[in-house]
Amino acid sequence: MNWKKILPGLFFCFVCSQSIFGAVVHDTVYINKGELITIDTNYYAFYAFNESPDFVATNNRINLAVGDSIYLAVVNTDTENHGFDVKNTTDYDVEILPGDTVEVPMLFSEPGAYIFYDHLDYPKYRYLGLGATITVDNFDGDQFFWNIKDHLGDWNDSLDGGYTVDWSMYYPDYFTINGFSNPLINDDPYARVAGAVGETMRIYITNTGQGTHSLHFHGYHLEIIYSSKNSSHEGRVKDTFPIESMETLILELVPDKTGEYPVHDHNLVAVSGGNIYPNGMFLTMLIE
Amino acid sequence: MINKLFILISVFFWTTFSFGQMDEEVLLIARNTGKKVVATGDTIRTMGFALSLMENPPVPGPTLEFVEGDSIEIDLWNVSQGAPHTIHLHGLDVNQQNDGVPHLSFDVGHMDHGFYKFKAPQAGTYLYHCHVVSTIHVQAGMYGLIIVHPADESQTTWTGGYEYDVSMSLMMSEIDTVWHNDTIIKHEYDSTLAVHKVELPYYDPQFYLVNGYSDEQIPEEGMALNTAVDAVNYIRLINIGYKGNRVVFPPSFEAKIIDSDGRPLPAVETSDTVFIYPGERYGVIGVMPEEGVDFISVDYFDLNTGVFENTQEVPIYTEGFVQLPNQKRSNYDLTVQPNPFDQTIFMELSAAKGGKLQVSILNLNGEVIDVIDERIISNESIHHLTYSNATLSSGTYLVQVKVDGEIVLTQKIVKN
Repeated sequence: MNWKKILPGLFFCFVCSQSIFGAVVHDTVYINKGELITIDTNYYAFYAFNESPDFVATNNRINLAVGDSIYLAVVNTDTENHGFDVKNTTDYDVEILPGDTVEVPMLFSEPGAYIFYDHLDYPKYRYLGLGATITVDNFDGDQFFWNIKDHLGDWNDSLDGGYTVDWSMYYPDYFTINGFSNPLINDDPYARVAGAVGETMRIYITNTGQGTHSLHFHGYHLEIIYSSKNSSHEGRVKDTFPIESMETLILELVPDKTGEYPVHDHNLVAVSGGNIYPNGMFLTMLIE
Repeated sequence: MINKLFILISVFFWTTFSFGQMDEEVLLIARNTGKKVVATGDTIRTMGFALSLMENPPVPGPTLEFVEGDSIEIDLWNVSQGAPHTIHLHGLDVNQQNDGVPHLSFDVGHMDHGFYKFKAPQAGTYLYHCHVVSTIHVQAGMYGLIIVHPADESQTTWTGGYEYDVSMSLMMSEIDTVWHNDTIIKHEYDSTLAVHKVELPYYDPQFYLVNGYSDEQIPEEGMALNTAVDAVNYIRLINIGYKGNRVVFPPSFEAKIIDSDGRPLPAVETSDTVFIYPGERYGVIGVMPEEGVDFISVDYFDLNTGVFENTQEVPIYTEGFVQLPNQKRSNYDLTVQPNPFDQTIFMELSAAKGGKLQVSILNLNGEVIDVIDERIISNESIHHLTYSNATLSSGTYLVQVKVDGEIVLTQKIVKN
């Protein structure tokens, strides 16, 4: 067999298969228990999917290209059973015992933003923080990621202590993006949109909270590239974007002028934290 | 010398061609001493925007109507002791300086003026509201509607859009009376800080508003879509409250959702139900196929729980079969020149509808200084007026036009 003749063909086939079927990715996330530190320095029970056994309140993100396969090892470092599932795709329905690891093979053939979350005792653990983002996109511009969430601090401790709550009475008192409230959101380089006039940027938004949020952008209209709930909304150009619980959006921004412009929940109660304005869901975009 | 000349020329060109010649100037007066009667008959305290000092600031504030491409200047005069105020031009995509967010642009303190300059963007539905401690100031009533008409002033939804015969705006909000007590309206603020931190009360509204009214107030105020069979109705829906809205049109209306947030939708959505969330705007067109009475229902639901809390109904009265003629966006139009003026100012008033006309000059306290003209005018008439008052001191005044006792126009003029 003449390998010198065959190898280029094999390599060509490999490249083609990668472009058609995507890459194979191996990754690990850890289910960790810790505490959410609020903007006014209160501590509440919280969980997160992290990239190491060390707890941080910001959930890990997984970014894939269209067609990628991923073998995701999910490690449960907690003393309770936890689950793993992905919204709006295959029903994985995985349960993970304390200290155990389960490897979940997944294929993402459609672009979009997905939520992986703990579906056990729903919505308890998802509400307590176990909701994170998988983006599937071949976009090569600057990307920003907002995992938005509401919290009623006292309920975190009650739920974690095994008590039940009446969700019809839910009135959250903290509102975060990637685990941070204003003004700390601007310190998160994955959240704070920064770019230049004429540059095309994308913002991947997942709502892993319990309530609906209505995000208003100052300065610019943006285009909906993807909506997990309403595909008919794709292509709409707007300045305000409602996003329901467990919904995802991909927005595209092409700034036409320089400046620093806010983005905030226009349910203006959600611009507070611990009932203090403006310590809630508020950040700014910086366009140079 | 050359440098100084260059700077002078630059300043001249910037002021002359950027915003030197305004197509429209608006004076908005920010007040925190407003009063509003709610559906129970009780009077609550409000903040708001008014066109004159004599006017109780309405909730919502006055609707501002512009023409696409026009140069606009809004003079915000803050006549309210306490926290400063601003105007955020919601959805107009103005530059940072004119965006109305206090720590990123400027705020306007008591007895100060602030000027917002911008080009009216593409035709559509927009908002303005105060952005100082916005959770409190918006709930208190500091918000209003901005409508931008197509550049040709045709009665179409946008340039090249749908023609319509009848239009109506439905602006939804709520009132929690606890937020309207003196402690909240006169909330503390630190004037040395750009960002004012304020504690918010629990939000649990008792009144669910459409255009500032609820329950029995809606029929009492005559709020209704008055239309004719086969007339094209264009309904602007606006949510400036802190709840979600579900607006349901009669099935026979065959509602089509055509625009949102000042932009046409890429694909028209046919649905009798529109969900609209805080800060959003939607445009809907529809036709009533037969005479009769029907309703647009507006549901209010909690954004945290999804629980529906209230429903308001706006009547639709469909009478007559005659196709309504296209109308101009306003029945009256006033041009004044020169403005500012030295001795004499010339005015041209176009009136599509006749009646008993009264044109007056007011000071900024709303006091009448001179009555220029009083007469009966006919439909589709044009009137030329001249005003001269040698004893009038330099300053800002208002030209007020009344027809049949109703204020139809107010315009700011400046005496040099």
